[in-house]
Amino acid sequence: MFNRRILTAAVVVSASAALAGCDQFFQDTSDREVDITQMSPEELAEYLVLETNSFRLDQDVQEGGTARERMQQDEIQALCSLEGSPNSETAGQVVAAARASYERPDGGVQLGDWRRGAELARSGYGYRVGHNNDDHGTREPGANCYACHQMDPAETTYGTIGPSLANYGRERGTDESVLNYVHEVVSNPHQYFPCTYMPRFGRNFLTEEQISHVMAYLLDPESPVNQ
Amino acid sequence: MFKKALLALPVAMAVGVAGTAAQAEWQDPNDVLQKLLEAQPDSKYLHQSEMNIMMMPDNPALYLLDDGEELFYKERGPNNASLESCDFGKGEGVLEGAYVELPRYFEDTGKVMDFEMRLVHCMKEIQGFTSDDSAVSQRHGSGSDIMRLTTYIAHQSSGYAWNPPLDHPKEQAMRDAGEVLFFRRGGAMDFNCAACHGDSGKQIRASVLPEMRNSQEWTKAVSWPAHRAGQDNVRSQNHRIRGCIWQMRHAGILPDTPVNTALISYWNDAARGEPAILPDLKR
Ligand code: HEC
Ligand code: HEC
Repeated sequence: MFNRRILTAAVVVSASAALAGCDQFFQDTSDREVDITQMSPEELAEYLVLETNSFRLDQDVQEGGTARERMQQDEIQALCSLEGSPNSETAGQVVAAARASYERPDGGVQLGDWRRGAELARSGYGYRVGHNNDDHGTREPGANCYACHQMDPAETTYGTIGPSLANYGRERGTDESVLNYVHEVVSNPHQYFPCTYMPRFGRNFLTEEQISHVMAYLLDPESPVNQ
Repeated sequence: MFKKALLALPVAMAVGVAGTAAQAEWQDPNDVLQKLLEAQPDSKYLHQSEMNIMMMPDNPALYLLDDGEELFYKERGPNNASLESCDFGKGEGVLEGAYVELPRYFEDTGKVMDFEMRLVHCMKEIQGFTSDDSAVSQRHGSGSDIMRLTTYIAHQSSGYAWNPPLDHPKEQAMRDAGEVLFFRRGGAMDFNCAACHGDSGKQIRASVLPEMRNSQEWTKAVSWPAHRAGQDNVRSQNHRIRGCIWQMRHAGILPDTPVNTALISYWNDAARGEPAILPDLKR
């Protein structure tokens, strides 16, 4: 097992500076202009993603901005680009970055409508771009929870990348500390699980209102998750 | 890093001197699959669809072979030429074992090319097609020339062990960049490939996912072209990459581009030593 070296911003900058002007080489029949064997694997990967027209980087994306911004890593994505678990130093940096960017909603964490939460938890629609674009104008983006979690014990198709959340609320109740914890996890799980594969739903993905519905689905005593 | 693959060699081939070409010979795709199933009785991924295992001898992808063969030998395009002078890495017109030894570095273009890139290159250079001709612009679906040719050519390597060359420094560079890409997180959901293919027996909804570090699962995972029952069409490696990247909420990937090549260099290497199932049948 090895931990992949973290790609620092400095490496990206120096790689692209050295390669400026050669953006098109992979589209030519020859790559003699740029010697890819002189780059580290990390530099080459960064170069391939951002400078070889391999992706439709200029496309507008649903959260605003362009697909290029999606492909440029933020701090947590860069720190977590590794195989296996982060070492303790990396884990500490990830937790710190996650805590620094977390915001509790104004007026405290509220539970919404578990029925809306059920729909959101099942839906895998939203934010996909490329040969086919999800249209948020015609259909609300979903939360994908079932892709990774068991939730309602009666639901038979669910993913197993995350732990089962069946009866999650029944076991924990709904006092303020539980609400705060679950909001923190759904919004940015790296605060507790550094480099987890669970997405940061509070980062340009779900609205606070949608998060309140999904949380109700998990925690409301009436929700099928807790029956 | 891939010692695991070497231990598994006896499944399909006599062990050769490390670093030499694969020793395998052609095998029917269904025979290859059956041996993998026997070798990995506990793999949830390999055993997930009894229906597909049963249908394998009548894999609808096999229906593309005749058309693919005809297209390969027919004089076509503005230059009225066949593809017999196309070099997939083992010499002009040599198809046996060529598919499992890609991507590779090609002297004539100065770059590492994956199979589809090379096929399109030949159709343009030899036959004179341009990007606008449907013969090369249509990449997907059983009705496309590209998928028929791909299925025919790949089939000539069925049962051969994956053995993409790494002797040229550019081949090694692309493979290593592909490894970084496999673990590189990004996009609207922070995913890398390992999020879904890093652990054994994990599921996304109803699909059991192949684990990249289990080369006997991974050889099936990368065995494309394959008929996808759920889509009722034969699909390519590149189509699979496009699908996963789309689900990952990264930017849309474009055909004939080096990110495809790097990912395929890495994933074919991760299946090294295991026999390819060509064509395969998938969910
Ligand atoms: C890509 C997979 C994935 C998706 C999608 C996902 N999760 Fe998770 N989730 C995980 C994993 C993995 C963990 C375990 C944390 C860890 O160790 O990495 C987790 C942990 C959690 C926990 C903490 C459990 C505990 O121990 O207290 C909660 C709560 C949770 N998820 C809720 C959700 C909700 C709600 C959604 C949908 C909005 C969701 N998850 C979507 C993968 C996912
Ligand atoms: C969000 C989860 C997810 C991510 C991330 C993901 N994949 Fe997949 N992958 C899937 C699913 C689901 C399938 C289809 C399995 C099925 O239909 O049986 C699949 C299938 C595959 C297959 C074919 C497996 C087979 O059964 O033949 C390969 C190869 C593959 N993915 C490679 C990749 C690569 C390379 C990446 C990164 C660029 C990636 N995947 C990222 C979910 C994912």
